[in-house]
Amino acid sequence: MKLNVDDIAVRFGPVRALGGVSMALDAGQVTVMAGPNGSGKSTLMSVLLGLIRPDEGQVTADGRLVCDRSRLSTSWFRERIGYLPEAPAFSETLSGRQIMRFFASARGLPRARIEVVIERVGLAHAAARPVRGYSRGMRQRLALGCAILHTPEVLILDEPTGGLDQQGLAVLWEILDEWRKAGRTVLMSSHELALVERRADRVVVMVDGKVIAAGTPDELRSQSGLKPEVRIGPGLDEIYEELVGGVSWDVSPAH
Amino acid sequence: MGRVARALIIHELLERARDRWVIVTTLLFALLATGIAAYGRSAGDAAAVVTAPSLVTLNAFLVPLVALILGHDAIVGERERHTLGLLVSLPVSRWEILVAKFVGRGLALCVAICVGFGAAAVWLSPAQRPVVLSLLGPSILLGASFLSLGVLLSSASRKVATAASLAVVSWFLLILFYDLALLTAMVATDGALSQDTVAWLVTLNPAGLYRTSLMNQLVGVDALKELGLVVSMPGSRARAMVWFAWIALPLVAGAGLLSRRHAVTA
Repeated sequence: MKLNVDDIAVRFGPVRALGGVSMALDAGQVTVMAGPNGSGKSTLMSVLLGLIRPDEGQVTADGRLVCDRSRLSTSWFRERIGYLPEAPAFSETLSGRQIMRFFASARGLPRARIEVVIERVGLAHAAARPVRGYSRGMRQRLALGCAILHTPEVLILDEPTGGLDQQGLAVLWEILDEWRKAGRTVLMSSHELALVERRADRVVVMVDGKVIAAGTPDELRSQSGLKPEVRIGPGLDEIYEELVGGVSWDVSPAH
Repeated sequence: MGRVARALIIHELLERARDRWVIVTTLLFALLATGIAAYGRSAGDAAAVVTAPSLVTLNAFLVPLVALILGHDAIVGERERHTLGLLVSLPVSRWEILVAKFVGRGLALCVAICVGFGAAAVWLSPAQRPVVLSLLGPSILLGASFLSLGVLLSSASRKVATAASLAVVSWFLLILFYDLALLTAMVATDGALSQDTVAWLVTLNPAGLYRTSLMNQLVGVDALKELGLVVSMPGSRARAMVWFAWIALPLVAGAGLLSRRHAVTA
């Protein structure tokens, strides 16, 4: 599904949260929104999710109107999106499976689908336990599972890497790859650009409610005035993956 | 109601069944009701007549409290947990979310009330149980009124702590101070307030409506008259309208608040 964000403006009283933002979110692409706190990333997501109406502009999906100044995001569109909020805190007394069961029922999905997704996000060992016993990473994985339960055409992820360990990140990257290959659309916001740059097809940089740069990571690199840096050797994240993946190597000092 | 709203009702009921505050107040209610019924048992055949008015008084205090506890974090709790946006982003309208939360929590409240009455009914003979069980319907209406108020306070608040404080204040005002204020007004106006006006003012408070309707039913008009109490209560249609208003209007107001621009994102 291709989304077109056309000139979206949002004002909260005298504060301009978004000032005429336009962007295209293509199918089969992972678009990362980057920017400081208060730059408008979450506000734009809120417009897409139907949480607020824009003051100006409109959003269309495959040419069909999603929202404009007179209406919130339509039900039709909200059937097709999966949303992962930043640091959601589900009810602590319910188990992960019970939380997912709610979202499955809400989406009209069979219970068998819950078990598939629980396995997918690596929570099979903890699904029956109350959420109060979950680590931050496990809660984030639960939220990710709830977002992908109905295989949405558009995934909207607000700071999805928060709290995820390397295994959790691996699950996230696999899901993003799967969505990309299936021709679905992903929009995510992140402060951890070093973490997401290899996974982003497009990066949109926002400051003060406006888009100041947009393009592929390579395009942004070539446009920037920064000197290129050459790194020899694997990154720490790759070394960690190799270690935790079962391969260990002796780091004893040379004699 | 759509699929999402129905799923939310069941989800709410499951969640409340594990809520320690709901469990504690339900057990407290059952304990007190048991105590009243056990004490009234000593009256033999008149046990139900002795027990029922005391249960009415107990319910008038406890049921609103349980209902306000159940309702106060319905919306603001989701906002604090950053899950309100997740709910609203589902293909469901905001008023459906509000009503589903009211119904789900209302069902939990019904269970709590039934447990309390059930505990009392155990101590009575089968012939006497219908008297006590006839209190069930009005008690549920009383609970629904205060649950609706709790949901409204939740929609209006930015923090759970604020909603909880407002709930406690509401309980004090409507359950404890309202009648005192009415008495003060009657004394201060030196009887200028007519009986009909007083009757209406009592009826407009759901706790007052609950007590007077049931006392009328249990003790009888003549007994109330002998005690010098108000007997010219508004008719059943008027009372039904008051119940409806107390249940529906806060929900309508709550849905309006939830539809505000900043309701979900701020």
